[in-house]
Amino acid sequence: MSDESRGRDVVVPERLYKSVTVFSTLFAVVAVVGGFIALDVATNAGRAAAADVNVLVAVLGVLLIAAGGLVYAFASRFRASGMAKDKDSGDETPDNG
Amino acid sequence: MSIERKDDHDHDAWIQEKDLTPVEQSFLTVLVWLDKRLRLVDYLELLETLYYRVNLQMPKSHTEQYNLDNKFWYWYPLYSLGFFSTVAYIVAAISGALLGFYYSPSAAAGSVDIEGATVAYSTVAAIMTDLNFGFFLRSLHRWAAQVMTAAVFLHMLRVYFTGAYKEPREVNWIIGIILLSLTMVFGYTGYLLPWDQLAYWAGQIGVEMSLSIPLIGEWVAQLMFGGFSLGQATLQRMYILHVFLLPFIVTTVIAIHLALVWMQGIAEPH
Repeated sequence: MSDESRGRDVVVPERLYKSVTVFSTLFAVVAVVGGFIALDVATNAGRAAAADVNVLVAVLGVLLIAAGGLVYAFASRFRASGMAKDKDSGDETPDNG
Repeated sequence: MSIERKDDHDHDAWIQEKDLTPVEQSFLTVLVWLDKRLRLVDYLELLETLYYRVNLQMPKSHTEQYNLDNKFWYWYPLYSLGFFSTVAYIVAAISGALLGFYYSPSAAAGSVDIEGATVAYSTVAAIMTDLNFGFFLRSLHRWAAQVMTAAVFLHMLRVYFTGAYKEPREVNWIIGIILLSLTMVFGYTGYLLPWDQLAYWAGQIGVEMSLSIPLIGEWVAQLMFGGFSLGQATLQRMYILHVFLLPFIVTTVIAIHLALVWMQGIAEPH
């Protein structure tokens, strides 16, 4: 796979990379879990009849899940210098030693 | 260690000079803004430093000292039995502590509508039928105990048949034998706690086994069972052995056992 087809790649200082990892993961986790909680609330944990579903909260839940995934995927373009781009391009063999 | 910021890198200036798209630039700016206020990364780095400094204080493990390849045979199933019994012990400890909130070791007449049912039996019945997740909790405790007993015994077989008890690991073998015995005492004392027919007659067997010991038999029966016939004293002694005495002793001996394994290394299969 060529570099272009793998998407953009931004090399950042290591300290900034840590911020990116910590905060984007934190946001993604909170957003996705919160999204599912919102979906549960809107549909009474999937037991509500179709007419009783709170559409606004349900849409909010789906959006939260999408936002979490988006931020997580977006953050994956940042890496510190010296980091391998994927598991096969580093100097370690991929066969568990 | 301090939470003084050691890193003087000017992120804002770096973001300005780097060729970034507007989305990337605002993304990074938001994260840097958050980082400056919440400082989570600083605290995580503190934990990282702490972890490595504590690690430096630990005795070198056998694999580190002799630079051994430790990559493959830990996964050999029979070499996991010791770890497996440790996990079962931890599960039993946690579920047992929770059961302790609801169990009462009393041989007085209980509220269950069965002739001769005691308070001890009634509380176990209540755990099984009335308490939320009680059936699950008691099953978890029982299964953890069964698994631990089985795993400890199979662990002993593995150690024996691979010759892992040999020099320089004789002391740990002896400690292991003690642990195996203590595990069975743990199991036996717990077995008596429901105080049903099974428990009662297992207790009777215990008393008679104690009495069969030459010279000190009567003394052992008095000490362990609180007399020659079963009653409140027996149940109470089993309870204290099970939830107070044995937990302290077994946890300590397990810690010593594991520390020795850590320092001596696992005997490699030949």
